[in-house]
Amino acid sequence: MQISGRFIDDFKTDRKGITPPLPAVLRLVPIGFYCAIAVAILLSAVFLLQYRIATQKRDGHRAQAGTLATQTANTLSERTALEVQIKKAINLQTWVSGSRPLQPLVVEISRSMGPKANILDLSLVRDEKAPAQVALSLKIGTDSVRQLDTTLEKIASQQYRAFSPTQTLGQGELDYRATLVRQGTKQTSPADPVQ
Amino acid sequence: MNNKHIALVIVGLAIAILIQTTLWVQGLSTKMRSQAESAEAAENQANAELIREKAQVSELKRQSSDLIDFLQVWLPYFESFDTQQAAEINFTMKVKESNLLNLSQRFDMAPVVGNESIGSVMRAFLTFEDDYARLLNWLGTVEKNMPTVRVTSVRLNKGSRPNELRMEAILEQPLLKK
Repeated sequence: MQISGRFIDDFKTDRKGITPPLPAVLRLVPIGFYCAIAVAILLSAVFLLQYRIATQKRDGHRAQAGTLATQTANTLSERTALEVQIKKAINLQTWVSGSRPLQPLVVEISRSMGPKANILDLSLVRDEKAPAQVALSLKIGTDSVRQLDTTLEKIASQQYRAFSPTQTLGQGELDYRATLVRQGTKQTSPADPVQ
Repeated sequence: MNNKHIALVIVGLAIAILIQTTLWVQGLSTKMRSQAESAEAAENQANAELIREKAQVSELKRQSSDLIDFLQVWLPYFESFDTQQAAEINFTMKVKESNLLNLSQRFDMAPVVGNESIGSVMRAFLTFEDDYARLLNWLGTVEKNMPTVRVTSVRLNKGSRPNELRMEAILEQPLLKK
């Protein structure tokens, strides 16, 4: 059977128009390409893994930092509330320390009077700016200065110290003025007002 | 340039794109690790701040325990009279209960200077004339039962009748700021 020449390639004759081969060293290019694909996939996988781990760490740290910041804010508000309470306590303590009962002092002064002495006028006035200081004005009907010593001993027994005392004796009357300042511990409870 | 050269260039470009993509992914990873480190540093700082703040609060609590105890004990006494009317009624009741001869009584509101917690005081100007013991017992009872009341002034002198004393007293009931 004869085949038409139209359907058969001519292998013996060089084809025209075929380009010459590239240099042999450039055969490394496709090899490099495949290697690059493999390395790129491997490294990208590693980097993506690191990326995911880092993202989780970042989110975890941020969440923890947020929790800590909330706790810090709570602690700060607790401190602020405590400072307010402390300030209030100091203010109330200032009031209480300037409100020590005067009745025991009056009673002691009255009891200190001897048989030949009597109180003509007794005045105890707190200083407006320093209420712990009490201005004492005492007029005693007596001829003896010793009566005043007894009274001052009684005042001292109530833990008061007299400052800037002045005394005038004349015509059966003894006039004594001083500023009394209480010495001693602070009052801590309403149950022990004369502590 | 023939098609082989073009193919070579395309393959070269593909390699370059692969490298660039890998470098981009690496850049993302590096950036994220940097952010993670920053977040860790911020967390450490927040933790240190919390520890410092807690230590300060703890120290403050330790230092102020006496004051806080004082406040807990005394505050109810201060809060028991929170209005002018309540204080005035209380003073009036105390005077009535005393059965002393009350010559005069007057009430007045006054501001308190230098005390941020106590805004004002209800001032009672009282004058009595009675037996010495009854007068001083009443004064002592008031000071004991109303520990926040401040006796600002007390004056004793002879009364108009024998064996009686005249007592003029100024009492102050503090009213807390609201």
